[in-house]
Amino acid sequence: MMTRRFVTVWCPDWPVAAAGLPADEPAIVVRANRVVARSAAAAAEGVVAGQRRRQAQQCCPDATLVEHDPARDARAFEPLVQVIGRFTPRVEMVEPGWACLDARGPSRYFGGDNALAERLMEGIGAVTTAAVGVGVADGRFAAAIAAHRCGGGPPTRRSPMVVAPRGSPEFLAPLPVACLRELGEADAELVGLFARLGLATLGDVAALPAADVLARFGPPGRHAHRLAGGTDDRPPAGSEPPPQRAVERVFDDPVAELGPLVFTGKQLADELVAGLSAEGCVCTRLVIVAETEEAERTERVWYRAAGMSAPAMVERLRWQLDGWLRALANPGPRGVGSRIEKVAGSRRSEVDGPVRHAGEERACGGRIEKVAGSRRSEVDGPVRHAGEERACGGRIEDGVVLLRLLPDEVRRDDGDQLGLWGGRSAADERAARAVTRLAGLVGDGGVLVPAWRGGRLPGERYDWVPASSTDLTDPDDTAERLRPRLAEPWPGTLPVPSPTVVPAAVRPAELIDAAGRPVGVGGRGELSAEPVALTIDGGRARPVTAWAGPWPLDERWWDAGRHRRLARFQVVTDDGAAHLVLAEHRRWWVAASYG
Amino acid sequence: MDLAAVVAPTSMADERTLPVAAALAPLLPGGGLVRGRTVACQGVASTSLAVALAVEATAAGGWLAVVDVPWLGVEAAGEMGIPLERLVRVEPGPERRKMWADLLAAVLDGFDLVVTRVPDGIGQGTLRRVRARVQARGAVLLTVGASGQDSGDVTMRTVTATWQGIADGHGHLRARRVCIEASGRRIPVLRRVEVWLPGPDGALAAGHDIGPAAERDPEPAPDMELRSAG
Repeated sequence: MMTRRFVTVWCPDWPVAAAGLPADEPAIVVRANRVVARSAAAAAEGVVAGQRRRQAQQCCPDATLVEHDPARDARAFEPLVQVIGRFTPRVEMVEPGWACLDARGPSRYFGGDNALAERLMEGIGAVTTAAVGVGVADGRFAAAIAAHRCGGGPPTRRSPMVVAPRGSPEFLAPLPVACLRELGEADAELVGLFARLGLATLGDVAALPAADVLARFGPPGRHAHRLAGGTDDRPPAGSEPPPQRAVERVFDDPVAELGPLVFTGKQLADELVAGLSAEGCVCTRLVIVAETEEAERTERVWYRAAGMSAPAMVERLRWQLDGWLRALANPGPRGVGSRIEKVAGSRRSEVDGPVRHAGEERACGGRIEKVAGSRRSEVDGPVRHAGEERACGGRIEDGVVLLRLLPDEVRRDDGDQLGLWGGRSAADERAARAVTRLAGLVGDGGVLVPAWRGGRLPGERYDWVPASSTDLTDPDDTAERLRPRLAEPWPGTLPVPSPTVVPAAVRPAELIDAAGRPVGVGGRGELSAEPVALTIDGGRARPVTAWAGPWPLDERWWDAGRHRRLARFQVVTDDGAAHLVLAEHRRWWVAASYG
Repeated sequence: MDLAAVVAPTSMADERTLPVAAALAPLLPGGGLVRGRTVACQGVASTSLAVALAVEATAAGGWLAVVDVPWLGVEAAGEMGIPLERLVRVEPGPERRKMWADLLAAVLDGFDLVVTRVPDGIGQGTLRRVRARVQARGAVLLTVGASGQDSGDVTMRTVTATWQGIADGHGHLRARRVCIEASGRRIPVLRRVEVWLPGPDGALAAGHDIGPAAERDPEPAPDMELRSAG
């Protein structure tokens, strides 16, 4: 069986570049307090992906911190995709910052793998300053590894990595098994097991008899074994699904907004996944097509080795449509770098910006000058807004009339992406659907799920984050969100039970002694008198029947801006209500109640 | 497949119940949360009670939506036994009263259990609509705090609450003994139970005693608590 040859374009730590942060300054992109990506400068200081934010900041205290935004990554990657698209009509997107293409045709046209890779690198270098790796090899996995090996360093000093035809096994053999995990092809458990069994390199794994690997490690092991041996990840048998599997929706009224399109996409994806799973299949390569009335068209191939669930399809659909709609709304020289594009956008917006704002400014009357002045001084902020406005304008002009999802490659579902406790239940699906619709009703900020943050006060320990920022039905994602792997003990927290009523803000209160004066707390936690009554928010004073404390807290004394020094008390009043009361800055506050 | 079960025009109420903690079952007609009904939780421990009612059903795989109850303590909910991965909070935003019913209708499509509070000034008509929706969807609606004119199919009120483990200046809140009374259309005689809500581990506990030995020697050691941390 001949393994197909692939070219992989991979931008190391793309989220950093997408956030507009230069690689030579320390920068870290985090999500849920874990490092997602870091700039080369931060990497040199010892920051690695997956690290806790605090550890990363320990390694590199002056790094810029940015929250991860996959949509931003996808948008910023769009110009690069346009460039790659000039070399082949079939670009397979794996994720923002990682694309792959079949080498055979383009390579012949451009005069060999080396020439193709050089030209690709040159083309991409013209639109971005970010580091780019290009790798050519037999099989997707080997090509991706080659791209990873080649990435890093300034663009001028890099050259693409081309593995000779049929050279993939030798190329992969000396590499550590951890590569499998880096590319998301095997989970940490399997890789750890390989390492413990003394299989340090991919060559060691590949040398095992295939039947034994399957017997011992199951389908994930077989998959890893195939990859390590340099054969293509999935045998192409049955890779051409009959065309009737495609699902599409034709809109009678053109749809111009992203929200409804994604919503329809979700329905299509559910339909598609349900159809495929009924046959025991999973889609590994998906073509997403959208067309407007004026025959503007976007078609993109998405690839995911582990197979795509419906939410994964929707996520990719959103990335693709978002970038495309923006491109439609801002016609102009395509394929320019994100930075250049922004400047161009600003120039254009200055032309029609004042026109749009004229009405407002007239209404404001005397404040015209002030407004104008502030717009001029804040170069970056208004520019971006102007761009967005334009994008909205473009969306309304020509709407999408066709949306199609076409499973391009399917394989038998080994079930390797399900956790030990099985997949998603019908209730999970239903809830996830409702969450999507609710976000449409009240906005992303109105549908929230808890996320662990840690702290010593009740309101600090969990955060509410938009449900759209996580995949609710993905067990790994959820585990990550709710508890870090190593739960910190947080010395100094109050014992269970925790308060059930935790308002967003503390309420002013007064703890009064027998003489009617406020109780004072000394620097060492001693009280001026026994508390007798509690008043909350200026309400009626309630007699205190029991109290406990103080539990002093002196947090972040090293950070003048966030330093907190307070004492905590539990106070029970005569109506049976119990409160967590704080003494801070010589005042009393109710932080939470045991309702 | 049993065809009779599929085509049967009616199903008995207790076939359509969501499980509830054994200690609270005597309060409810049918011994569980009957789908399509509304339970109003009132009194000093109303939030704890609503969460405690939802624990068993969510632990069995159901999802819990919390609509317009922004103060819910996540950690306490976790201690009570709610799997936090199936907890979603929905906020109606500034136009709270206008949005509430529509929002609830959308929430009921996706969630079997909904905890909410009835905004002030909601009309009877709106409440009836919400109730009809709850019934049609076979969900269970738990309201927290005063619920206006509407008292729900079952009204549960925590009448007394006594904290254990805390005294004048020492100990800490450890467990709360509450007496819960249930009344409603399907409850001819007032029902009453006493439970620990929360018990010493944060979850609902039945029984009379939480162990006097532990009460005399409240953990954790005070000097552990007094240490300045940070």
